[in-house]
Amino acid sequence: MKKAMKGVLAAATCLSIIGCGSKTTETKSGEEGKVFNIYAWNEEFKGFFEKYYKVPEGVEVKWTIVPSDNGAYQEALDAALTNQANAKDDEKVDMFLAEADYILKYTNADVTQDIKALGVTDFSNTYQYTVEAASDSNGTVKGVSFQCCPSALIYRRSIAKDVLGTDDPAQVQEALNSWEKFDAVAQQAKDKGYLMTPSYAETYRVFSNNVSSPWVDADKNLQMDPQITAWMDQAENYVKNEYTLTEGIWDAGKNEQMGKDGKAMCFFGPAWYFNFCMGPAHDEKTGTIGDWAICEGPQAHFWGGTWLLAPTGTDNPTMLADVMNTFINDEEVCKNLIVNEAQFTNNQKVNNEVAADANYKSDFLGGQNDVAIFAELAKNIKFQNVTIYDQYMNEGLQTNYVEFLKGTVSKEKALDNFYKYINEKIPGIKTPESK
Amino acid sequence: MEDQNKTSRTKLIISRLFAYIFVGFFCILCIFFFYLLVLNSTKTNFELQGKFSFIPGTNFITNFTNAINDDFVKIPVGMVNSFIVASISALLTTYFSALTAYATYVYDFKLKKLVTTFIIGVMMIPSQVSAAGFVQLAFKFGLTNKLWVLIIPSIAAPAVYFYMKQYLEATLPLEMIEAARIDGSSEFATFNRIVLPIMKPAVAVQMIFSFVGSWNNFFLPGLLLTEPELKTVPIMISQLRSADFAKFDLGKLYMFILLAILPVVVVYLLLSKFIIKGVTSGSVKG
Amino acid sequence: MKKGKQQPISYAKWGYIFIIPFFVVYIIFTLYPQILTFYNSFFENYKEGLTQVGPNFVGLDNYIQLLSPGSDGTIDIFKYFGNTMIMWIAGAIPQFVVALLLALIFTSSRLKLKGQGFAKAVIYMPNLIMASAFAMLFFSLFSTVGPINKMLIDSGILDKAIDFASIKITARGLVAVMNFIMWFGNTTIVLMAGIMGIDEALFESARIDGATSTHVFTDITLPLLRPILVYVMITSLIGGLQMFDVPQVLSKGVGMPDRSTFTVVMYLNNYLGGSKNYGMAGAISVILFVITGILSILVFKLMKKED
Repeated sequence: MKKAMKGVLAAATCLSIIGCGSKTTETKSGEEGKVFNIYAWNEEFKGFFEKYYKVPEGVEVKWTIVPSDNGAYQEALDAALTNQANAKDDEKVDMFLAEADYILKYTNADVTQDIKALGVTDFSNTYQYTVEAASDSNGTVKGVSFQCCPSALIYRRSIAKDVLGTDDPAQVQEALNSWEKFDAVAQQAKDKGYLMTPSYAETYRVFSNNVSSPWVDADKNLQMDPQITAWMDQAENYVKNEYTLTEGIWDAGKNEQMGKDGKAMCFFGPAWYFNFCMGPAHDEKTGTIGDWAICEGPQAHFWGGTWLLAPTGTDNPTMLADVMNTFINDEEVCKNLIVNEAQFTNNQKVNNEVAADANYKSDFLGGQNDVAIFAELAKNIKFQNVTIYDQYMNEGLQTNYVEFLKGTVSKEKALDNFYKYINEKIPGIKTPESK
Repeated sequence: MEDQNKTSRTKLIISRLFAYIFVGFFCILCIFFFYLLVLNSTKTNFELQGKFSFIPGTNFITNFTNAINDDFVKIPVGMVNSFIVASISALLTTYFSALTAYATYVYDFKLKKLVTTFIIGVMMIPSQVSAAGFVQLAFKFGLTNKLWVLIIPSIAAPAVYFYMKQYLEATLPLEMIEAARIDGSSEFATFNRIVLPIMKPAVAVQMIFSFVGSWNNFFLPGLLLTEPELKTVPIMISQLRSADFAKFDLGKLYMFILLAILPVVVVYLLLSKFIIKGVTSGSVKG
Repeated sequence: MKKGKQQPISYAKWGYIFIIPFFVVYIIFTLYPQILTFYNSFFENYKEGLTQVGPNFVGLDNYIQLLSPGSDGTIDIFKYFGNTMIMWIAGAIPQFVVALLLALIFTSSRLKLKGQGFAKAVIYMPNLIMASAFAMLFFSLFSTVGPINKMLIDSGILDKAIDFASIKITARGLVAVMNFIMWFGNTTIVLMAGIMGIDEALFESARIDGATSTHVFTDITLPLLRPILVYVMITSLIGGLQMFDVPQVLSKGVGMPDRSTFTVVMYLNNYLGGSKNYGMAGAISVILFVITGILSILVFKLMKKED
């Protein structure tokens, strides 16, 4: 029996590579593998999985958790996925987790398969961008996200009141809904002795999520999208006019701005950011709990999120599909994720219920219902013009460009250093510095 | 005579004073960083995200219980694994390096010069690169999740060999080997019973270094050990660092780093006593 | 037997026997990957996402690319090599001097300091903390909102915080200081063990002959310690040329300011880390190997000449 099944699986694997993935569901659930292998880089999803997913009887779930430091996670995952065809059934990867930064590396390759063919077909309640992110260049969906991470403009109420005369989210949004207005308010904030943003890179994601062309064209030439150059100009302008600081987004010098003595008005981030990463704001004595609110800001964007992907050659296709369906379409599970785990789920219906709930409010945001804002925001997020190189491009540009902003090097030199960094990290990309 | 005694006494007092100040300064410098670690382990995650402060936090106990009670990252398991790898590696690396060094110091054989030059030469190859190749091979031959894969290669440690060789050149008189031979000692026994005891300080030093190096090694274990029961301490630290935002806790992380140092301190203290003992017994024989 | 002549027993075979374990393990676990590295340096061999590109034989192309000057006329790898050397020397010289002094103090039978055991344990402690964790701790002191800046501002020396990491001299200085703190205890222990290995009788007889402690040091300790000093210098050189963690953490991987703290291994890591570019990484390691070799020979020669 085992042998026969292997044959079926091998055939299925070949077929799905050719693009005819529908055969993969052929194996009946009763004949599926006894071990369900999940690869991840941390325990976040493991916690939710163990609490809310009922594992079929006779199946053992085996977690392989490799931390992401030094690229160790992708290294281990790549090795396992490329060895998938030769691995014993009990060692085949049955599901793995990926982040937006590198998801395309896997969705655009043969190592993942069409989940619609496996039985994950209902995307009526998921946010469009999470589906785009898990699709390959032909539009084949290869995974789902169990969470959604829309990112908002997080502002200090007291500063907004002083600068704009109001701290009401709708009115603040009205005053900051385009970059022209944002820039104008930056000057007003400065006149009152405030900073518009705490970091030169605070707005980077807002721009980079909305590019109209990818970082690399078809001939592998590096290209700078107008959104990226707009950010560069804004950062230069903001630093020159002292609207912002030359601190990185994770630097202590930026975080300090979140405290009572902080002067910065606008931060950008999703729920996980203001709940867990704004430490100095949460301090009972020196913090600023309740002095915050969120609005959409100039452009919709997201930050973070984890996707569940379907590897080619899994011997548990039915369970895989069931796990995916559970975390996007099981309303009870999604409800639990919101209520018990403070997640913004990938189920619009469930999110909207909480958004409409008058009793739901965040103390940190001075009683505002953040889910309501996020539910609106998430609809407008785009996931497009992405390349497998984006992580290096975004990090490399920010860390090299700040040297120009600090006055250490000229703008040309900063860009030269950025191109050098790219040439080292990614072979074959043509930059002005390529030899 | 009395005068001379006096001046030499004052001289001694002055140099002692100087020595105390000198040693004291560097001790304080080192303790300071250890203190910083302890300080950070008393704070909450939110406190640590903000600006640095010398005022201790009140979260020491919470961090401690969080660190030892983590469901996923089990520090006792990590310590046992790290201890197995580090201690066996340390034993193997010092013993076989000493043996190899002894061979190329005492015996005359045709390839001796070549062997010595070769080992010292390969010491200069950047370790990152052979490690990358090693990982490729380990994946290829299915050698992941096996502790011995991290232990056995320590038998061949060019830098430790080099130290042993230099140490032998500085300390071992060849006549002693001759004498042992006349006494009828076999070559292997001479090495084990006469040479190794003389080398005790060197062995202890390299054992410490090798133990610490292996204890703190992340690169190879991080790539090769994925089974939770086999993970070593640095992998766990790294796992805490890549925790999701809801669970990420710098206070717990610093506590974990602090706890991870303690066994190494104990090993160090034990072995450093051995350095001194080794010398006295060695010189008695010498 | 055929020669029919009594020869002195040859012990040469024992030399071979004793080196067998070392070489067997070395060849299996290390030599093969190393040869692979050398071999790879003549190939185009990297990954693009999950797709393997190559290996395609490209001859010396990788070397030519590394050794040809950039738009500003400098050859990058030599610049990074220079950075590495400067930061190594700035940390290593004080490290040798302080370690030697400490080792002499600890081994002195005249001084007999109290609390030595404690001191010996304490100075080695920085080496016990993982380099990356220690670097994080160390650099948080020097951040723009760290205690050092606060102190300098409070005492009126500065009126605005200094960004130590973005000024060439302070950034390199911090790396050197950090390396010094991490490694001086280690060197002290090595030297201490070396001094302790010297036959006590030699010191005894020198003292009876009325030699001053300076004389004992220059005439007995130093010459007898030479092999160990060679070891300390060579390994420090090799370790220094492979400097990575500390500048990587300080400069967020880009070697700021203007790549002046960018080291050869950070360069190598950029090729290896992202795209598994074994071709270019191999070529860099070969160049690094050659340079290390030349410098090590220089150190060996230098130490021999002093005889």
